[in-house]
Amino acid sequence: MKIIVAIKQVPERDAHIRIDSSGKWIEESDVQYAMNESDAYALEEALQLREKHSGEVIVVSAGPERVGTTIREALAKGADRAIHIDCNDLNQRDALGVARLIADAIRPDNADLILTGLQSDDLGYGQTGVILAELLGVPHATLILHVEKTDAGLKVKRELEAGFFQEIELPLPAALTIQSGGNKLRYATLMGIKKAKTKEMRVVTAAALDGAPVAVLDGIAHPKKQRSTQIIPGDAKQAAATLVEKLKFEARIL
Amino acid sequence: MSGICVVLEERDGRIGRISWEALAAGKLLAAQSGQPVSAVVIGASTESIANEAATKAVNNVIRVEHPLLAHYTSDGYTIALHQLIEKESPTAVVFPHTYQVRDFAPALAARMNEVLIGDVVAIGEGPVFTRQLLQGRLAGNYRHQGSGPCFVSVQAGAFRADAIESGSAEATNFTPTIDAAQIRTEPGEPFRGSAQTVDLGSAPLIVSVGRGIKEADNLPIVQELATALGAELAASRPICDNGWLPMERQVGSSGQTVSPKLYLAVGISGAIQHLVGMKGSQCIVAINKDPDAPIFEVADYGIVGDLFEVVPALTEAIKAAKG
Amino acid sequence: MTSLSATLAEPQSFSLVEKLLFLLLVAASGVLFWRRFGPILRKILHSRKDPDFHLSPIGRRVWDFFWEVICQAKVIQQRPLPGLAHAFVFWGFCAFALVTLNHAAVGLGIGFLDPASWIGRTYFYLADAFAIACAVGIFGLFVRRFLVRPRWLGSKVSWESGFIAGLIFVLMVTYLGAFFTTDAAPTARILWWIHTLTLLIFLPLIPHTKHLHLVLSPATIFLSRDGFSQIPPLVGDEDFGLVTGKDLTQLVSLQAYSCVECGRCSEHCPATNTGKLLNPKEIILGVRAYLNEFGPASDEQLLGKHNSQEAVFQCTTCGACEFQCPVGIEHLPIMIGLRRGAVNTGAWENDYGGKLFNQLERGSNALGISALERDKFIQKTELPIFDGTQEYCLWLGCMGGYDPKGREIIASFARVMNYLGTSYGVLKKEKCTGDPVRRLGNDLLFQQLAEENLKALAQNKVKKIVSICPHCVRTIQEDWKAYGTPPEIEHHSEFMARFAGRLPKQKSDEKVVFHDPCYLGRYRNVYDEPRELVQLSATLVEAPRHRERSFCCGAGGGLAFLGEETGERVSHVRAQELVATGASTVGTACPFCNTMFRDALAASEKPPQLLDIAQLVARGLPPVAPTSNGVSKA
Repeated sequence: MKIIVAIKQVPERDAHIRIDSSGKWIEESDVQYAMNESDAYALEEALQLREKHSGEVIVVSAGPERVGTTIREALAKGADRAIHIDCNDLNQRDALGVARLIADAIRPDNADLILTGLQSDDLGYGQTGVILAELLGVPHATLILHVEKTDAGLKVKRELEAGFFQEIELPLPAALTIQSGGNKLRYATLMGIKKAKTKEMRVVTAAALDGAPVAVLDGIAHPKKQRSTQIIPGDAKQAAATLVEKLKFEARIL
Repeated sequence: MSGICVVLEERDGRIGRISWEALAAGKLLAAQSGQPVSAVVIGASTESIANEAATKAVNNVIRVEHPLLAHYTSDGYTIALHQLIEKESPTAVVFPHTYQVRDFAPALAARMNEVLIGDVVAIGEGPVFTRQLLQGRLAGNYRHQGSGPCFVSVQAGAFRADAIESGSAEATNFTPTIDAAQIRTEPGEPFRGSAQTVDLGSAPLIVSVGRGIKEADNLPIVQELATALGAELAASRPICDNGWLPMERQVGSSGQTVSPKLYLAVGISGAIQHLVGMKGSQCIVAINKDPDAPIFEVADYGIVGDLFEVVPALTEAIKAAKG
Repeated sequence: MTSLSATLAEPQSFSLVEKLLFLLLVAASGVLFWRRFGPILRKILHSRKDPDFHLSPIGRRVWDFFWEVICQAKVIQQRPLPGLAHAFVFWGFCAFALVTLNHAAVGLGIGFLDPASWIGRTYFYLADAFAIACAVGIFGLFVRRFLVRPRWLGSKVSWESGFIAGLIFVLMVTYLGAFFTTDAAPTARILWWIHTLTLLIFLPLIPHTKHLHLVLSPATIFLSRDGFSQIPPLVGDEDFGLVTGKDLTQLVSLQAYSCVECGRCSEHCPATNTGKLLNPKEIILGVRAYLNEFGPASDEQLLGKHNSQEAVFQCTTCGACEFQCPVGIEHLPIMIGLRRGAVNTGAWENDYGGKLFNQLERGSNALGISALERDKFIQKTELPIFDGTQEYCLWLGCMGGYDPKGREIIASFARVMNYLGTSYGVLKKEKCTGDPVRRLGNDLLFQQLAEENLKALAQNKVKKIVSICPHCVRTIQEDWKAYGTPPEIEHHSEFMARFAGRLPKQKSDEKVVFHDPCYLGRYRNVYDEPRELVQLSATLVEAPRHRERSFCCGAGGGLAFLGEETGERVSHVRAQELVATGASTVGTACPFCNTMFRDALAASEKPPQLLDIAQLVARGLPPVAPTSNGVSKA
């Protein structure tokens, strides 16, 4: 099985975020980057499928030069080769624009399966996998926790809302977006990183942005309220009532 | 091109609350531009939900019906709604941001060379759509610039469903052309996660109890709170060490790591071993009599007080709220 | 005949047959010795060279040899009675070197020490004294092994040890007996032959038994690495730690064959003592068994043959084994080497370990908490940010930055520094020093963390660091060296002890038992400083196991992050011991010990309070005075 995994490099969860002078993106110089979490799970799923059914795992990632470190991490964890779409204006492209870049880069490989993480931790569009399927004309399923290969194609376990799950069967080739937590992630090893040095990393240059995107990110801002503890006053009964009100309308949980 | 289409989603035979919130967002867009709003329902037989939708202040209800839409499939929904949108050519299509919408709406938009502006939390004049970036640490403002309809999905709780007035609308039918061969996936019946073992990791709501409960005999008051909430019961290590609750319910560095939507910590002071197991929770509520307890450092909401008074009061308040 | 003027009786002449028989027996004994010892020596010599081995500084080696081998210091210090008995046997052997040589020479008619001469007489009398001491010693050791039977010697009765003890006893008795007869008497001849046969039986037995240490351990001690728990560097693209036989170095193999199976390591091991699978002695003997079965050129995996992965990952790296070992075995480089082999190749699969690694691959701290929480703590506690102008960088560490208890320690220590007028600041961003991943054997992650931290410290122009965590101190000072030059660092106990004269003193009856953290004590030799600080405001009491013999809290070696342990909890065993001292307060100097004891002490009926030495010192400080702008500083 030839599997392509689209991975994204995103700011570390802990990164200190400052808005840059354009007001449209964050100051990148003082941010450290890591592999997007659900993409790491997508990679893990791909590696496990290859271990079971043999084949090849190819990672593809779009972004500037720094993306190379995340690609090498993926190679160190066991991917066979990589495609780096060199692109310095990723944040200005919308989900369709990015998916087009990836589709163009991976089309020649005619993969059996395309995996992406469910959603990126930075922009959080959660659409790349689904649009890729549309652009490549293959069926897809999202929020996948478990993948099983069958004679006819795949049987996957999809997460639904409110604690429910569903099994979906679909033929290959197909695209899946992988939910975090379905597998245990492997860690990068010294042996892996040494082996990665000799693996192929093909760099392709991204096509220039063709006019304005459909969805334009005009500006970013810090949300009004940072997370802080609200101590709810009053006696037990009042406090309880206030809390329920807040959980309902402020936190929107109940 | 005119009109706003709001695609409503069925949940357990009725229209879910988040769909009404999407309708509220659609009406907001309509009000900005003075356009009519259509409610769209979709399925193999949509009569009852269409009737439900017709009781709201919408201009009309469109019933998208086809036998092949009996079960949700991305292919079926995409084909059907694509045909509807081609026919209606609305300026905007609004969805609730549900798992189902996330599964097909991006493909539907892409099919029309458009992009879904997803998970929107606010709509300003323009319209400008606000959505969260970097897991809520930033807010991004988006504008739609395509030539086709603007696809939008709205986050649960972002708009007030109870703001929608009632009305009585006409329903019209739309029958899409779908060939069975076009539906490439075969969905199975939804099922619950394995009920045998406690899977705190996937529980959306957790009530967790710590040393503050003092004795095993006091546990029922916390259990009642969990039941009222529909939450799983969990505990800090000392409770499980004492055998008051089974080890599998232990949250923390030597137990399970959880990230529910709500983590309600009762009588837990918040030792680091416990914090590492639950810090990823979306919303943390702490009830503790010690105002200096470290748990309040990580909590979103805190009640400083005697848990033996607060917990029963909270149970009552939740029961009342759920009606 | 019990005259002090008695001389050693030596048969005056031997027949040719006797001489030939003697030579034949010597040759046979020598061949039998070599047939066993030769292969062992080859296995050691054919092991991989130690990449970091240097003979210099030779002075340290000579001193270790003198102190630990000649003086038998460690043997005696750590187990006085059996140690002394052993020392007598050892010294007896030394004294006998000349005696035995002469004894053999006599057999060939070329004896060089005349018992009648004053030199010979003096020497043989001296040897007499040693022979008596040795005979008493070996008898004592025999009684201990076969009648007292301490469980650390293992459940299996070692008959060969008994036999050899018998041989040694016979050697001494036959020597002493020769003073009670005359040269011409047949008894002298019989004694000579018994003595000779005993010697010639003993020689080939040496390489077959744990008495191999007689030959090897002086070399092992002389060649041991400089410093405690020295983890060797990985060299080249194929070195991932101890994976197969090919990775065993000469030092590891030498040490494996040197083990005398005394069980001191097991006796002090927190894992062995709480019913875990791990027994450090068995790890060393496992390496030896591997070498015997597969040899040093084998591609067979080291783990899964004679050593189990599970056992290797139960080690808290407290270092009690390495500290105790009387024959110079360095357990920690071996234990961590085996872990490296498993982790660097990805063979180790562990849910908790994997999570820890993933958290540190993408985050900043071992606890997996957002760095924003650290920022909030810094703001709330009003800790100054390091800007290059202050003298000290106060290193928070994961526990100091995120753990509620660790934060209390930081806040207290900050008060002490404010009181002393020390200028200090904390870094805006800090990453885990890599201690847990270093000890767990993840070299890739450790290198990343060390390099990022070193870079940040250099950018901030940090010259001196002070830390509340002995693990951070050790890792920064020793382990980071492989990747750069770390700033000077000291533990807060050392820092405060330097200013003890300026810190408030109050006599008090409050009894405080101080728990020596492994990474402060055995790893850093800091024992007196925290005690001095405790005594500023309280009466110090000692737990039965303290200072060098302190018993681990169970957190080290990355184990704090590996979930629930099997068997009894190490922390509970230690907590009970501390409670039993009757002290009203347990003093610690490590935030990991603190967090382990917090739960463990709570299990006791009347738990003593638990305070870090910084908290013990800070409580004696005067209340904080308002600063000039009216805002009080924490």
